[in-house]
Amino acid sequence: MLLIAGTIPQKDMPLIAGPVKRQGDMLVADGQEFSRIQGTGAMISAALAATEYMGIEPPYVVVAGDIGKGDGTRLMYRYLTEKIASLQQDVVTLHYCQPFMNLLTLFVKEVEKMDKPPVLIADAGAMYAAKAAGLAEKFDVFTPDPSEIAFLADPAATHPAYIANHLFGSEIEDVPELIAAAYRNKSAAGVMVVKGARDYIARDGSIMATIEEPNVPVLEAIGGTGDTITGLTSAFVFAGVDPVEAGILAAKSNRMGGKMADPTPATKVARIIDVFPAVFKQYLCEWSGICAVSSKGDK
Amino acid sequence: MGNNGKKSVDGGGLVIFEDVSQAIQAEKVLRAGGYEVKLIAPPPKYRMGCDLGVVINLVEKAGIERLFKEKDVHYMNILSTTEGAAELISVVKTTDYGRWLMIKAGNMKLAFEKATGVIVNTSGGGCPDIPYLHAEMVDKKLNEAPKPSELGYTLCALMLDRAYEEALTVWNGGN
Repeated sequence: MLLIAGTIPQKDMPLIAGPVKRQGDMLVADGQEFSRIQGTGAMISAALAATEYMGIEPPYVVVAGDIGKGDGTRLMYRYLTEKIASLQQDVVTLHYCQPFMNLLTLFVKEVEKMDKPPVLIADAGAMYAAKAAGLAEKFDVFTPDPSEIAFLADPAATHPAYIANHLFGSEIEDVPELIAAAYRNKSAAGVMVVKGARDYIARDGSIMATIEEPNVPVLEAIGGTGDTITGLTSAFVFAGVDPVEAGILAAKSNRMGGKMADPTPATKVARIIDVFPAVFKQYLCEWSGICAVSSKGDK
Repeated sequence: MGNNGKKSVDGGGLVIFEDVSQAIQAEKVLRAGGYEVKLIAPPPKYRMGCDLGVVINLVEKAGIERLFKEKDVHYMNILSTTEGAAELISVVKTTDYGRWLMIKAGNMKLAFEKATGVIVNTSGGGCPDIPYLHAEMVDKKLNEAPKPSELGYTLCALMLDRAYEEALTVWNGGN
């Protein structure tokens, strides 16, 4: 099972846990609808597009409403910490949430007790908390953007808002050094998928791949286009792809989705997610050898 | 009431809070009361993960405590040190996409249409209020959209607020 946990920007939305499906322009789990805009919703939508295409189990989501007060984050962590041992998941991806270090620490302690711990992936608030709490090395994959890799490289920063100004000014050529610094500081996960104008995939301190084509600069302005890379990486890892290769496939798919959607800075991420099936159909077999599709696939 | 003098913030004191929204509220109250203050990250031992503190002049502690009580501002403690505290990032970058402009502050980005001032996207960040702010701000004009620091609760919202303020300044300057 691929378990995706995060918060949804809806007031008073209770905790929802269950397999997710798409219904029109919304996502549905446990009978509750929620949006697929920027954030956890975009990430889940991208993962779902990939699992549907590959004909594998859809993501099991654990989501709760939170508009920044931390209430949904607390519900999410309480559920995960209590249930993680019984959910039989292979991959767990943590996403948008308040970066509560204490709650993440309790969750990681439960994971460490498991005989067969899941692959742990983090982005967004969960990644901030993992770094700030000194738990980064407990994670298998992080998916930072350029400001977030600067944050991971800065040993003093506990949030991207506090990175040193000289690191914020880093250029694309500086990213390998930031990645190296993050590994030196023990602030990196085993595999790093660094999203940016040039994507870098690193493992244990070494750059394994860079992806820079097709280059679609406006993707940086579109909210959710980093979330989709995390969702795609999670789905490919769940399909059995090595995390480095999964990151490469996710980066390539996202770029190609961006190109095929022909976006402007005003484009919404849903339009890019909607072209992923066409990207997979045209390129996934060529890129990876993943050629089988489900009955829902259109090949 | 208040402090009408134009004092600089010499520091020496740090107010810490349970969450970022309380710190943002406190900063507003203090500035309205004539105090010079600065938002920073508390020292590591006081951080829970997404924290913001307000530097004050410690000599003004008594007046500040009284003002907080009057304005119902909740805070955890006033420390007599700022050692270990960290500055918020101050660099803002601009990317020109022709018809649109993107402003980046810290980990947050805001894109708007130059001609109309309509916010077309926000991106970056990882706290729960960011998708919420995205939903509330996108497709609204800069001067009609909610201000991130008034609707948000986190450091990401504070960074988005800086991008928003810069976008508003640029747009107003161009019209």
